[in-house]
Amino acid sequence: MEDLEILAKFQQPASRNLAFNQLVRKYQQKVYWHVRKMVVDHDDADDLTQDVFIKVWKNLENFRQDASLFTWIYRIATNECLSFLQSKRRKFFLPLHDIGAELAAKMEADPAIAGDEIELKLQKAILRLPDKQRLVFNLRYYDEMPYEQMAEVTGTSVGALKASYHHAVRKVEEYVTAADTPTLPSDTVD
Amino acid sequence: MKPSFRLAQHPRRWPQPQSGPPAGYFEQLPTRIMAQVAVPARRRVSLAWLLQAPMSMRTCLASTLLLGTFAVSLWLGGGPAQPSPTPLARLDGVPQEQLMDYLLTSEAHVDMTDLAELPAQHLGITQQYLRPSASELTAALDDQPADDAALL
Repeated sequence: MEDLEILAKFQQPASRNLAFNQLVRKYQQKVYWHVRKMVVDHDDADDLTQDVFIKVWKNLENFRQDASLFTWIYRIATNECLSFLQSKRRKFFLPLHDIGAELAAKMEADPAIAGDEIELKLQKAILRLPDKQRLVFNLRYYDEMPYEQMAEVTGTSVGALKASYHHAVRKVEEYVTAADTPTLPSDTVD
Repeated sequence: MKPSFRLAQHPRRWPQPQSGPPAGYFEQLPTRIMAQVAVPARRRVSLAWLLQAPMSMRTCLASTLLLGTFAVSLWLGGGPAQPSPTPLARLDGVPQEQLMDYLLTSEAHVDMTDLAELPAQHLGITQQYLRPSASELTAALDDQPADDAALL
């Protein structure tokens, strides 16, 4: 079902539930993986994915189609992730490195990565990035999202996003290269 | 230091690097989400309507609801309890002529034997319900067949 058809059916009370069910089925995997890459843990990703779709349900009636439905849902998911990580830090008084270490520990326990040393180093390097830069990295590197669409999702200019991604790639490469040495490159918050 | 690791040369795990969710997760997720949104949405609509109403209308609605509840409870309860009339009082209200007509019809299944035995078992019962005059009694007795006269 196309987005416009979903939106039209959602406006009618009789077909609202059906339309929303179709919407969830269409976007659930993209939302889940977008969230999962940010929070690493499946249970957290599960909770956040549900929260995202509940927010979509509550606000879809007022969706003005300034952006595509997909971009709008991604923006909600992004905000949910950033809020979650921020509140987690506030709750446990954790600095940036500690939450990165916590996420890295979860990544190490992932059987899909545990046996691949280079991949594990890469994932740890990505987790050392500041949240917003990590978000930019994921959207570009894994989701292959165009910069224009990334700008709509993050509310940042295309130029700033390109610079952020460039810096993120450089930091990740430096970290993986230096991972075996005792001195690690320092993180910078963009 | 120039990094030896190049991201572009590293085989990318696409679309995601991590292991997937439990089996059947994406089959169940829509049902779980729909279970959360369907009911609260109906509540939200009704609450929104109530919250947008002016204070005077809300007061009026609350009063109507209270009175309505009271009226319905009264109606269901059948009003204040009243003592029901006793069978004797009800019988007392029936006119004498109507009683006589009923007793003398064949549908009443009351025969002369019943009428003869009743005063013997309940003394004074005829005086309580049937208050015949002397002339009425004489006329009634005269109307009886001759072979029933032995009962008197």
